[in-house]
Amino acid sequence: MTDALVCRSVSVDYGDVRAVAALDLDVAAGETVALLGPSGSGKSTLLYAVAGFVDIAEGDIELCGEVVATPRGATPPEKRPIGLVFQNYALWPHLTAEQTVAYPLQRAGSGKREALAEARDLLGLLGIGNLADRKPAELSGGQQQRVGLARAMARPARLYLLDEPTAHLDASARTAVQERIAHRRREAGAAAVYSTHDSAEALAIADRVAIMRAGSVLQVDTPQAVYERPIDLWAARLTGPAAIVDVEVVARSEGTLEVALDGTRVTAETDDAAAGGRVQMLVRPEWVTLGGDLGGVVRDVWFRGPYTDYTIEITGGTLETRVAGPPVARRGERVACTVSRGWVSAG
Amino acid sequence: MRGRRPSGWIRARRWAPAIGVASALVFLVGWPLVELLRVAGEEWRGGLGDAGGTMRLFGNTVLVGGLAAVVTVALGTGAALVTERTPAAGRRWLRLGLVLPFLVPPFVSALSWLRAYGPSGLMDDALGIEMPGVFGPAGVIAVISINAMPLAYLLAVAALTSRAGRDFELAGRVSGAGPLTVARTVTLPLLAPALLGAAALVFVLGINAFGVPQILGTPASFEVVTTRIYQDLARSAQPEAFSRAILLATGLVLLAFVFTVIADVLLSGVGRGRRTAATDVLAGRRGRPRRGLTVATWAIIAVVTIIPLVALVLVALTKGVGVAPTPGNWTLANFAEAIDGRLLGALGRSLLLAVLAATGAVLLGAAVALLRRRYTGRAASFAVMLGFAVPGSTLAVAMLLSYGSVLRDTLTIILLAYLAKLWAVGHRSLAGSAGNLPPDLVFAARASGATPVTALRTVVAPLLRPAIVGGWLLVFLIAFHELTMSSLLYGPGTDTVAVAVLNLQQLGDVPVSSALAVILTLPLIVAAVPLLATSRLSRRLLGNG
Repeated sequence: MTDALVCRSVSVDYGDVRAVAALDLDVAAGETVALLGPSGSGKSTLLYAVAGFVDIAEGDIELCGEVVATPRGATPPEKRPIGLVFQNYALWPHLTAEQTVAYPLQRAGSGKREALAEARDLLGLLGIGNLADRKPAELSGGQQQRVGLARAMARPARLYLLDEPTAHLDASARTAVQERIAHRRREAGAAAVYSTHDSAEALAIADRVAIMRAGSVLQVDTPQAVYERPIDLWAARLTGPAAIVDVEVVARSEGTLEVALDGTRVTAETDDAAAGGRVQMLVRPEWVTLGGDLGGVVRDVWFRGPYTDYTIEITGGTLETRVAGPPVARRGERVACTVSRGWVSAG
Repeated sequence: MRGRRPSGWIRARRWAPAIGVASALVFLVGWPLVELLRVAGEEWRGGLGDAGGTMRLFGNTVLVGGLAAVVTVALGTGAALVTERTPAAGRRWLRLGLVLPFLVPPFVSALSWLRAYGPSGLMDDALGIEMPGVFGPAGVIAVISINAMPLAYLLAVAALTSRAGRDFELAGRVSGAGPLTVARTVTLPLLAPALLGAAALVFVLGINAFGVPQILGTPASFEVVTTRIYQDLARSAQPEAFSRAILLATGLVLLAFVFTVIADVLLSGVGRGRRTAATDVLAGRRGRPRRGLTVATWAIIAVVTIIPLVALVLVALTKGVGVAPTPGNWTLANFAEAIDGRLLGALGRSLLLAVLAATGAVLLGAAVALLRRRYTGRAASFAVMLGFAVPGSTLAVAMLLSYGSVLRDTLTIILLAYLAKLWAVGHRSLAGSAGNLPPDLVFAARASGATPVTALRTVVAPLLRPAIVGGWLLVFLIAFHELTMSSLLYGPGTDTVAVAVLNLQQLGDVPVSSALAVILTLPLIVAAVPLLATSRLSRRLLGNG
């Protein structure tokens, strides 16, 4: 089966600024890829290049086996098999929800009456059928985004592009929209590229996560892989809570290291064939448990309801851990803990 | 019990601003208009006189306003599409060129068109080209349209960048619509209110225009309401002429008022901040810059604005009429004559009036903007807008009727008319910023230990400073260029520069009237262009890129 999207060393220039630099990315049919990066990393630009809003300076873009953009020419957006959900919804202020969703159906050749009927069905599927005759000004942010979603879904698209679709939503609306997206996409069987700066969202929703920095893809892998084995410390901090501690390598074998951490031994994974001596090791909160041989001092305690977060200072750095239940230690108290695993990257 | 409820003094202080604004409104706008309507009612009962002639006058006036509205909105929208939606090269300077006519008072535009394209104008002398119809309705409509074009252009730009944001068009494209379908189904419906509002506004400007029809229409016996009022009031001593002027002024204000309300309603939401990620990401990114469009647009700007102004300067620099405007025939004698004793006085009076009007209008505008109380504030800003809607000719007649017995032929009556008319400009400039100023900022200052006065000085004033400066400059510019009211209100020894230019032109003194028009216009253009090209103000006005 042909890939839904192939970007081959794509570059996009904005005047003198290179917003996307020699970027490679493949998205298989039916797959969801999250673009995870801070603002300014080129996520939106890449989506706009795939949609056909900006010209590319180098490389080419292929949608479903067909080249749609090269530096010499591009297929216009309306001829590409895509659906786009905008960060700011971009709902036409002069059209009602059902007219908005009917718009792409009419462009695809449906008569007005059947387009409106189908639009109402789609809005019903998204749970806002009762709002069909409202204009954007009369809708909340979450409702607007669902209309935007319905408009994108109304296209016979092979690839959905979602540009930070939940960035302006509150937590509950965000969850609702995320669930709708996942559900609709599975149903439609189309691929999706989803840009976000929220790591939890990226890890939860995607088959693979592409970490973006300065217009390039730094790492593409499954959510678990980018979380547990980030390519460098920057990617480690981007993908979740990350404690970095200094350790001494005492032994090594294929893909794993034996390191010394303040007198205790920890087995760490690594992608660095040359690691030795003093290195920096990533420790995720759930890799730390209370009790054991590693002594430390509690620096901060945050009770979060179902669990409690602790910051523990040890020789060589500061660990974070998350333990179910209410606080069991106070700020300033000496505690013992255990680090069960670690990650040492080459980057 | 002290301190439980506001003492009488505190209550009085709370109402003082509203009472002050209300009295100023009654004095500047309310009473003169009431007086006008009262006298008009008496005259009406006295009989109409030449009804057919009056109908023809209003017919001409509506023709000028209507056609100017259509031409202006077409030009302005076209220009806005070029600078905002095409990859035209050098867009920043293009925008500047497109708003240039705003810095030229309409009657100076009319003069410069005469010098460039009129009989024995520059083009006639140099190339034997004389534009037909410069004198008459076509010329009047063309020059009014060019002068109003920046307004329509800026409104269209505001609508294109806010209400009809680019992301709406992109959403249309990814929904499967081609560029033309998007223009038809998305862009135009979204622009329509702004364009209709702009048309209504230009219509009002067109029917209120006096300088252009006086210079280009009257010599061809093409009369409109404003020129007839001038004829009846300033050039005639017959009592029936004065009666007719009052009735014409009343008819004009009714017409203008209806269309101002229409414009106000249609334009109420235009340009209100809506910036999106898509517009930010795509700002200034529309492919390779194209020179062709830029060159074509500049060519039009040159024909309508720059060549006429150059012609005006050349005529002002040249020894006499009919002499070739080559460097060998240049002289500064016309300028020397233009700033000789009596005319220098006119220049001084214009500057004084403009400074006083600008300061007064900004203070009055601030007073209305700071009226926090919802209904008093809204009522006041409506009344202020009413003053602006009143045509200059009508306002001058109303001022003469109500205060003429005491203030006739003084600078004070001219200043009162300026303030009544331009209060709204001061208010609009401030209200935009004051409305956007979150009350939280003041609360934060108070919670940080500032007294109300300190909060006003340290938080409100610095944030409003750009709006205050901008509003002051705008009122100064309009007042300095004002002709309509001044020409009806001036007396011996109180003429302004604009009036002096008109009188010199009507006496047929081509070189000196040109020189004075150049003095009136050029320093401000020279000062404004670098300011517009660099300042923060222009970034708001003209955008980036």
